[in-house]
Amino acid sequence: MSTIEIRERLVGAAAVIYPGPYLNQLRGERIERRCLEMLHDGIRNLVINFEETELINSIGISLLLGVIEAVDESEGKVILTNLNSSNRELFEVLGILSRVEILGTEEGALASLVRNPTGCDQPDEGSHIPD
Amino acid sequence: MPMNTRKLLHSLGALADLGAEISSTHDFEEVVQASLHTLLGTLAIRKGAISRYSSSPGQLKIIAARGLRDAVGSRVSLGKDEVDRLIKRPGPVDLAAERNGLAQFVQRNGESLKRLRAAAIVPMVARGELMGVIFLSEKFSGEDYDSEDLAIIATISRHIGVAIYNHRLLVSIRRRAEENRRLYRELRDTYQNTIRAFAAAIDLKDAYTKGHSDRVARYSEAIAREMGVEGQELEHISVAGYLHDIGKIVVDRAIINNPRPLTDREFKELNTHVVTGYEILSSINRPWNEIAYMTKCHHERVDGKGYPQGLRGDEIPLGARIVTVADSFDAMMTDRPYRSRLSLEAALEELKRNSGRQFDAGVVSAFCRLVMKEIAGDVPRVLTATSGRGYDKKLVVTTLNSMINAPGATSVGH
Repeated sequence: MSTIEIRERLVGAAAVIYPGPYLNQLRGERIERRCLEMLHDGIRNLVINFEETELINSIGISLLLGVIEAVDESEGKVILTNLNSSNRELFEVLGILSRVEILGTEEGALASLVRNPTGCDQPDEGSHIPD
Repeated sequence: MPMNTRKLLHSLGALADLGAEISSTHDFEEVVQASLHTLLGTLAIRKGAISRYSSSPGQLKIIAARGLRDAVGSRVSLGKDEVDRLIKRPGPVDLAAERNGLAQFVQRNGESLKRLRAAAIVPMVARGELMGVIFLSEKFSGEDYDSEDLAIIATISRHIGVAIYNHRLLVSIRRRAEENRRLYRELRDTYQNTIRAFAAAIDLKDAYTKGHSDRVARYSEAIAREMGVEGQELEHISVAGYLHDIGKIVVDRAIINNPRPLTDREFKELNTHVVTGYEILSSINRPWNEIAYMTKCHHERVDGKGYPQGLRGDEIPLGARIVTVADSFDAMMTDRPYRSRLSLEAALEELKRNSGRQFDAGVVSAFCRLVMKEIAGDVPRVLTATSGRGYDKKLVVTTLNSMINAPGATSVGH
């Protein structure tokens, strides 16, 4: 059993996900599964904070696209934040930036979602997705 | 970093990940699913599916899908001409393009292709055979595939095609190996049943020896195992036990069933059965020549007074020395035309008296150890199966101990 944990925190009707240092198949599948659970529970807005993420491989991209598509189908919103230059270039070359909102900080993203009709409430305590 | 370089680095990383996945020990389904993810993630393609081609009937079966509900298991028909076209021009095909050579395919499978959101298909060809087809939707960005994209897709698809080819080969080899194992098991069953049938036929010549060959085989095998014999040698000793009297097939039934003491002439004829048995069995190639020789020697004595060759000690094969003890013990423990069966105590005394003369002392010692274990209930009853419990246990155990610990109670070797 892997000990990999994906950090998350709920902020009212939004959730913030932290993919960690390497977004690959293992982490991507965890994130996708958890995001689908959140959508099922009524959380429509996601912020994915890539501050700690140094590398994203192709499977990670595919799984991330799956999350974005699922949120789109639920008429929710995904905002990507804190991308380093390398990952930003990658998203740009793959054409992802043209379809998904990118903001510099998590706080900015949450504020943006507050202004949104599906906005959020006050921040809660942080939590972790278990194995 | 220039965008083209960034894209190239990402594609190279994808190829490295794909190589690692294909050469991993993961399940085939996992490998295919991960390969599909790799392809889609390399160019940020929204949806896709991987299918396997089956020529009979000509169709593609979806084995992995991404972003397409209920797609796995669905089928798309593919004609022979279409297969030939995909093999001859194995690159990505824009399904909307005119003159792509697949107009009938698109028309015939319109609904299926719509469900698969297929904008393009990519044949996977390995060693000139169509392994399957990859269905791709539009890119996440909505942009058209450019020539670089198509080259990357073709490269990754070739790798996935080779993985499917290798998997198919592995499945085929496993299937053949399993078939060979099944045939081998059947052959062994036939072989063992034939030997038992022969043994039963041999014993039918003598009304008093029903089941004798079967018991001698089981006794011989048990004693040999007690002596540490294993594998093929153990099996040969067992077979020699079954067939040790095969030469009696040509001996006059009247002599075998004669209730009176035999004349010299009758003895002489009876004793020919070891040589006759050897001649019958030695016509079969290895490893039967070893078995044949064991049957020839099962009336030899370690003191050199046996027949047909008067061999001594370890000149006699170990298997023959074991069969000799098993044969004699069973003869003593069953009724004969000229006498009633002996008690276990009397039979043990007889073995003791002849140990080192008629019988190999090491074999007798192993025989006694095994009887002791059977009496103690440590092993299933084989040697004592016919003796029931009607014996003086204390006397038997005392006799056995004296035989096990007797000087020279070690085998004279193979």
